[in-house]
Amino acid sequence: MSQFLAQPLGWGTGLIFALSAVVLLGVVLGFVTYAIYFERKVVGWVQFRHGPTRTGPLGLLQTVADVLKLLLKEDIIPALADKPLFVLAPLIAFVPSFAVLATLPFTESIHFADLGIGLLYYIAVSGITTLGSLCGAWAANNKYSIIGGMRAAAQMISYEIPLIMSLVGVILMTGSLNLIDIVNKQAEMGMWFFIPQILGFGIFIIASLAELSRTPFDIVEAESELVAGHMTEYSGFRYAFFMLAEYVYVFGMASITTLVFLGGWLPPFEFLGFIPGIVWFILKFSFMVFFYMWLRATFPRMRADQLMQLGWKVLLPLSLVNIFVTALLKELL
Amino acid sequence: MADLYSNNYLIVAIFFILGLALPIGALTAGRFLRPNNPIAEKRTTYESGMEPIGGSWVQFNVKYYIYALLFVVFDVETIFLYPWAVAYDQLGLFALVEMLIFVTLLVIGLIYAWKKKVLEWD
Amino acid sequence: MSGQFVAFFILSLLTIGGAVFMISLQKVVHQVVALAFSFLSIAGLYVMLEAEFVAVTQVLVYAGSISILMLFGIMLTRHDAHEDTGRGKFKFLAFIVVAAFFVLVFMGIQTMNIEGTPANFSQQNNVLEIGKLMFSQYVIPFEIMSVLLLVALVGAIILAKREADDK
Repeated sequence: MSQFLAQPLGWGTGLIFALSAVVLLGVVLGFVTYAIYFERKVVGWVQFRHGPTRTGPLGLLQTVADVLKLLLKEDIIPALADKPLFVLAPLIAFVPSFAVLATLPFTESIHFADLGIGLLYYIAVSGITTLGSLCGAWAANNKYSIIGGMRAAAQMISYEIPLIMSLVGVILMTGSLNLIDIVNKQAEMGMWFFIPQILGFGIFIIASLAELSRTPFDIVEAESELVAGHMTEYSGFRYAFFMLAEYVYVFGMASITTLVFLGGWLPPFEFLGFIPGIVWFILKFSFMVFFYMWLRATFPRMRADQLMQLGWKVLLPLSLVNIFVTALLKELL
Repeated sequence: MADLYSNNYLIVAIFFILGLALPIGALTAGRFLRPNNPIAEKRTTYESGMEPIGGSWVQFNVKYYIYALLFVVFDVETIFLYPWAVAYDQLGLFALVEMLIFVTLLVIGLIYAWKKKVLEWD
Repeated sequence: MSGQFVAFFILSLLTIGGAVFMISLQKVVHQVVALAFSFLSIAGLYVMLEAEFVAVTQVLVYAGSISILMLFGIMLTRHDAHEDTGRGKFKFLAFIVVAAFFVLVFMGIQTMNIEGTPANFSQQNNVLEIGKLMFSQYVIPFEIMSVLLLVALVGAIILAKREADDK
């Protein structure tokens, strides 16, 4: 990819960029389809059930059938809803979720846009999704929706601050926001960043779970009290795009965690270097995805007030401490 | 180098356009596939089977607004932390002291909010 | 370069379009969404000026958090009623004033003579340069910024607390 990026733009290179983006879109859609299947299987396994088994061999076609069902479902827009915004909101939520993937490198050669500010780009653009879900919640004109949407937005903004701050420690050690540079620095140090940045790593994992609104922070959806929060009135494919955005973020966040803290495509030991980098990336990435599902099967949901207090009173001060300890150690060592 | 820059952002633009094209395409395709029979009953607002009383565009508690405000203030702060962290290698101890002063002032704000109990969620 | 021109044209159209919609739409929430679009397009314009960091800041602070702040602010009020504004009366007069102002600004920009060579930021690390400048040459404004943020925070808390106590 690098050699194409350095070339002056022509129709050929432009076509290659567009095609590679389409390929990634295909990969992501495939990932989402089987992540949902896998999630149901993992949760089933933990709870001593089978999960989906009927649709296709081993239930492998379950999600495909679900998507087809959503596609064929009637599109209902409530009479009291604010129609233009109701239609627009899933778009505002979904577009950033896919656009953030543009900056992710998968190995040193398989990557898309090699942005100098890659990490910050990811965080900034992913913040727009909150706006989409808040608009959807307001537009639906439903009490569950608007309470869920406001709570969701409050949670998102509260955890975005620790999320951004926990990464500053890594930036201090690397001196660059470029994701490829960050992985190369880990190769140079011979150590993945989750060891020297263990506090930052912990904060990042907690805050990223909250940003993904996954258990134990899924108060946003809370099917038993808020009936799926901002998505209550959505059905069919509009609902599907909210869900899709959520799972695309799982893809993005697992990739970012892998790249920043788990060494990206680097092998864990030198002598395993003969295995191609993409395999290591996929292994670490899959572990992160499994980790999210494992947590979902294990943890209860957090209460809304505990959630906000954890964000502001614990994670924010801790991430500030992490930044200054890192800076001081860097100065002393 | 300039090519590299513009090509990078061309890819970002392609991703945005593709992200927009997928939902629009899928929803348009769905229009030909799905049934459309909107009767009044279906289009009522869902409220667990009850008739909704009153609208839902109500006045929300002021605490949400304070959280949003805290968020904006700390968002601006973190934005300053990034160039500092990137340039830290070349700036050294003096920059650390500068940032410490900056953050201390904002932490005072956080402590004030804490003492005033606006961080409580009740 | 024609590609750049097309991109500039589309982004400026979106920026201005967002601003126009922001003024002309009836519901406040719609206005905020239009404004967010305007903010995002401005970020695109910054990217074209090779100011990556400013663009990302624009997205993070304006599109990501100021719009949320505005939406939360709207939720704070009773926003279900439409406001009847006394428009129409001075429409013609307002149009003339705005048109005259536009002509004036347009002429000003046309005749303005910008000196110096344009900065070439794509050749170097954008964020690093900003960091170096901010913590050497512009330290005092940077530190005063934190006082400003603190005052804003404390002031807002005092106002909001009073509001909550009144209820």
